[in-house]
Amino acid sequence: MEGSVPASYQEVFRTDKGVVYQCDKTNRLILSFWGSHTPLSARDFAQFRRMVETVNIHQMALSTDAADDVEILTLPRSERCYVLTLCEVIHLRELLSGANLMLELNSMLRECGCATLSGNV
Amino acid sequence: MKDLERLRTLIKEPVELVLNQQIQMELVSSSKYLAMAGWCDRNGYDHSAGFFYKQSEEEREHAMKLFHYLCDQGAIAYTPEIPAVPQEFDGLRSVFETVLEQEITVTDSINRIIGVCRREGDYATEELMKWYVKEQVEEEYIARRCLELIDQIPADQIYYLDKKLASVTYDENPFDEA
Repeated sequence: MEGSVPASYQEVFRTDKGVVYQCDKTNRLILSFWGSHTPLSARDFAQFRRMVETVNIHQMALSTDAADDVEILTLPRSERCYVLTLCEVIHLRELLSGANLMLELNSMLRECGCATLSGNV
Repeated sequence: MKDLERLRTLIKEPVELVLNQQIQMELVSSSKYLAMAGWCDRNGYDHSAGFFYKQSEEEREHAMKLFHYLCDQGAIAYTPEIPAVPQEFDGLRSVFETVLEQEITVTDSINRIIGVCRREGDYATEELMKWYVKEQVEEEYIARRCLELIDQIPADQIYYLDKKLASVTYDENPFDEA
């Protein structure tokens, strides 16, 4: 998968389970998780991150109901959906939160007039 | 690297969050006032009912002002859930006591939003919220004045009291432009 990443993709955040890239050509964030690349607008990315954050992981951990074994998450404006176990939800949450932190850092650097993460504007 | 979030909207996420909470609060207020209008209507307080129908509309307008602001600036405005509100009251005093408590809650919330705007350096939203600050000064004054009138007007002059309550305004609001 690493070799197939276009040159315009800049890595925002990476964990063992996935990567978030940013493409300045298309103004998209690319979520690479569970073997799939999903381009998202900044708004859809924020919306999906909130969706993942609001998954009730306590209920998934404690409930004996089979329906709570997995969480189905539909990506905004996409036909794709993730069917995730508790561990996978936590991994996705870690990836999205980390990416969000880096994007916030990028915003802070821009606001204070410093160079952005990649060093160009 | 481009700042995609800033390109999307001028409103930062913490501000977006508190504005969405405020939309819900305003719509809950609208629902509460509508319940009060209904209670007044069925208990013969026609003038107060009219006052609360108008208040209910006003609260909805306050919510819509924020809703449009979020949408116009590229942020996400969520349609909030409105929980059930009380439909019965012990009397007219109890109604207006609830009004004052509700308005104080809204004022506190507006002040908290301004705090968040300052922390995030969002001067545009702070400017918008100043309108709400002025509005709350008026709302709290009207609620307190109504409670004063309930204390001052004898209990046997119900019709006069009802009429007087519905006519309370804050003409001397120091924030109003001349």
